Amino acid sequence: MKVKIASFLLVLGVAAVPALAHHSFAAEFDGKKTVKLEGALTKLEWTNPHIWLYVDVKDESGTPVKWQCEGGPPNVLTRNGWTKDSLKVGDQVTIEGWLAKDGSKTCNARSVKLPNGQAVFAGSSNSEYK
Amino acid sequence: MSSRLILLSITVSLAFATAPAFGQKFKPPEGPTPRTADGKPDLSGVWDLPYVPDMSKTGPNQKGIAELPLTEWGQSQWKNYHPEEGDYTGACLPFGLVRSINSPMPMQIVQNNKYVSLNFEVDNWFLIVPIDGRKHRDQVATWAGDSVGHWEGDTLVIDTVNFNGRTRLDTIGHPHSDQLHVIQRWTRTDLGHIAVEMTIDDPKTYSKPWKNSRTFTLRPDWEIMEYSCEENNKSLWEGRIKVPKY
Repeated sequence: MKVKIASFLLVLGVAAVPALAHHSFAAEFDGKKTVKLEGALTKLEWTNPHIWLYVDVKDESGTPVKWQCEGGPPNVLTRNGWTKDSLKVGDQVTIEGWLAKDGSKTCNARSVKLPNGQAVFAGSSNSEYK
Repeated sequence: MSSRLILLSITVSLAFATAPAFGQKFKPPEGPTPRTADGKPDLSGVWDLPYVPDMSKTGPNQKGIAELPLTEWGQSQWKNYHPEEGDYTGACLPFGLVRSINSPMPMQIVQNNKYVSLNFEVDNWFLIVPIDGRKHRDQVATWAGDSVGHWEGDTLVIDTVNFNGRTRLDTIGHPHSDQLHVIQRWTRTDLGHIAVEMTIDDPKTYSKPWKNSRTFTLRPDWEIMEYSCEENNKSLWEGRIKVPKY
């Protein structure tokens, strides 16, 4: 339940920036600062240009801390079979991603997983045949 | 600069790492090049465009050139590009011609004997290309420039000039100037594919013209969907993305 923040140079293939940002990833996020968040989903915004996930993450004292993470574009996710109902408020999720450069509790989600390890909102617009 | 290149390399790797967990492998339809009533190739359809975040790289369905021939001015524009200080696409300003075609979202072509209409999903922009023999219009420079097209055999040649110079060619931010001249040669090689050769000619930014080639793939199972950069652009509203100063 605690926030783990790592700041190091990413190693190719171990971690990666999102493939689908239509705009510059570097404008907002720091590809050298990763974050792993575990907590309960409080809201999902299935909106353009990106979906947003809101999660309460308990700190060391057990106090919930509000985080927000950007996901992929809804059109791309829809084409890959995901819907706004793929996650429900209250679901426990583990999000791995990169921190915003401004120091706010904002991340760009590389992966979102349920407690059983199932990935949610994975997939990319680089279609199946590529 | 090098960190951005690293990020792009990583981006390409993730495209494979995040392959969908379900779904059948898509195979484009097979058959001969369809034609309109006047015998020209019919480019109509919804096309999957290869995402080209860095035109100096080669990726799936896309071939770039490793060394872009930047002029001294071009080098200065490239080295001094810092998207965190101003990101025009994140700020929902028009992508422009080249970056729209480089985007990861599909495009629908609608065609008759006077026009070819390029209907991009990215921000639902469209670009109407006259193919009736007219010359370039004399007008105020624009984000997407002024395009006219003509047929050379079975190849549609789209010639675009009169850019305002405010866009970047690709996500990583390769520069261009208002002297940009883009020549595209689109050939529907069969039912399922359009082969594209794009020439970037910009003497202020590049010492010689250079090419990028790619393949569009027909997706009869897709429709263009609504897309709005402005709908919930929290990143801009909360100050993490900044509007560039021109």
